[in-house]
Amino acid sequence: MIEIEHLTKRYGKKTAVDDLTFAVKPGVVTGFLGPNGAGKSTTMRAVVGLDTPTSGLARVNGKHYSEFRSPLTEVGALLEAKSVHAGRSAYKHLLALARTHGIPKRRVTEVIDLVGLHEVAGKRVGGFSLGMGQRLGIAVALLGDPAVLILDEPVNGLDPDGVKWIRLLLKGLAAEGRTVFLSSHLMSELAQTAEHLVVIGQGRLLADTTVDAFVSGNGQARVRVVSPDAARLAEHLAGPGISVSSPERSVLEVTGTEAAVVGQTAAAHGLVLHELRTDRGSLEDAFMQLTADAVEYRQTTEGANR
Amino acid sequence: MTAAVMTDRPAAYTPPAQYKLSTAGLLRSEWTKLWSLRSTWIVLLCAVVFSAGLGAIIASSVPDDQAIGGAASAIDFSMAGIALASVFIAVLGILTVTGEYSTGSIRSTMSAAPKRLSVLWAKAAVYGAVVAVLFGAMVFLTFFLTQAIFSGTGLGGVSLSDDGVLRALLGYTAMIVYLALLALGIGAILRNSAGSIGFYIGVIMILPQLATLLPWNWVTDVTPYAPGNVPNTLLMVDPAGATLSVGESWLWMGIWLVVTYGLAGVLLKRRDV
Ligand SMILES: Nc1ncnc2c1ncn2[C@@H]1O[C@H](COP(=O)(O)OP(=O)(O)OP(=O)(O)O)[C@@H](O)[C@H]1O
Ligand SMILES: [Mg+2]
Repeated sequence: MIEIEHLTKRYGKKTAVDDLTFAVKPGVVTGFLGPNGAGKSTTMRAVVGLDTPTSGLARVNGKHYSEFRSPLTEVGALLEAKSVHAGRSAYKHLLALARTHGIPKRRVTEVIDLVGLHEVAGKRVGGFSLGMGQRLGIAVALLGDPAVLILDEPVNGLDPDGVKWIRLLLKGLAAEGRTVFLSSHLMSELAQTAEHLVVIGQGRLLADTTVDAFVSGNGQARVRVVSPDAARLAEHLAGPGISVSSPERSVLEVTGTEAAVVGQTAAAHGLVLHELRTDRGSLEDAFMQLTADAVEYRQTTEGANR
Repeated sequence: MTAAVMTDRPAAYTPPAQYKLSTAGLLRSEWTKLWSLRSTWIVLLCAVVFSAGLGAIIASSVPDDQAIGGAASAIDFSMAGIALASVFIAVLGILTVTGEYSTGSIRSTMSAAPKRLSVLWAKAAVYGAVVAVLFGAMVFLTFFLTQAIFSGTGLGGVSLSDDGVLRALLGYTAMIVYLALLALGIGAILRNSAGSIGFYIGVIMILPQLATLLPWNWVTDVTPYAPGNVPNTLLMVDPAGATLSVGESWLWMGIWLVVTYGLAGVLLKRRDV
């Protein structure tokens, strides 16, 4: 369980996190979503005590992180930037961390094998690719077999195989009753892994909900109908709260009602349907819609097209 | 992803209970970190070669007409390399801290030991002990080596039991450990390799020497108290003429270390990692 209460973090004049309150529960994977600069990494650093909040607090299982007598078994963290000395081997990096807690060498080799770094464990980390560095970071997070996992963009730099692996891994860890909290910019990525969602923008909470509720709440469902009698069907469907548009001849897009209602209306008037389906707004659309006002670094395409 | 799954939440996970963060663990961790970097081996090797090598070279090139003065001169000549090696030792001390900041490994370190201060003490203890053992040996090795070279000249025949000789040799060891710890503390305050090395060489090593050229008398009165100068009395076979007594020398080394580590500790607690 991670509890963030009225967390505010300012760097000079810049407010990175602004009065943020939410909780991450054990047993499910919780996704942490937000555009660039939203304050995800800052929040995560505050949880593991690296950044001191300007006000408010971040607690893990009821305690401040620095109160733990064995921090590595309570929380395993993968932070955004590389957190390894480039001149040290992956094995020695893990071993040095393990020794602080008296974790045996056996466990070090175990996590190295688990993340698939067996071949390169003795090599200097400076020569690692982005994905290898990321796997080492995941090994560090898993080292103490912790109850809470905090992972900042864990899929960043992983190949498709690695992405699939970590998805299963995280779901498995959550199923064991652990708290799993991971950040991402990609809604579609999180939707496949996470069950719960916390969305922030410009340091403020935008949504704290389940993935399902988020999608149906934000992306409006749309019924698409293909019928040779589209024009007549449109007349019969018209009503309060229902909007009908026709992007092409014989195609209707209906919002504000359900596919079942459209089908019944057509049947009642003896109209032929060739196609009837519900389009969920895409996850990415839902996300962008929600964060539209909270995007900090907005790019333009004008320069590129010139 | 349904309500059914939500209520079906597994029992809370209990992490392994046998692992605990400990002082012994932190010391072992810093030991592992120190020796797992190639730079440690290279710099320490340089320091060892310099201290013995330079001592030997200087000893064998002292002209006979200058080979006078007995124990005091003999030790000055033979320990010239040790004094120079202290620069290597100081730089490595700085890097043990600043290297963690420049590479980001400090984030791993501090998430494993979130109280932070214990990391600083462990780093200083491990590095200080390594330097003490290594240079405790090097100082005596260099002494006996140069004495072998000096034998037959006016600088030969100095014995450990001669007045002040053993104290001076241990003084060299104490000085190098003190400078190692001072440099490591500076690294912890400034967090930046180039800045810390520049500060150490410029402000600790060179500035007090340059300052004596200034025309004001009070400057010459204070320079013996500069952090880089306070161990000087300990290096003398006969400390009678020194501004600081042997006891004061120890006291001021202690004061400067307390000041440095006090500041480093406060900043470490207050600043974000
Ligand atoms: N150490 C720091 N000093 C100054 N400003 C900072 C610092 N860390 C973060 N910020 C600022 O705080 C804001 C939030 O940054 P943060 O890294 O938490 O965002 P994020 O959600 O992780 O972004 P991304 O998706 O790009 O990783 C940004 O505007 C950033 O510039
Ligand atoms: Mg980030």
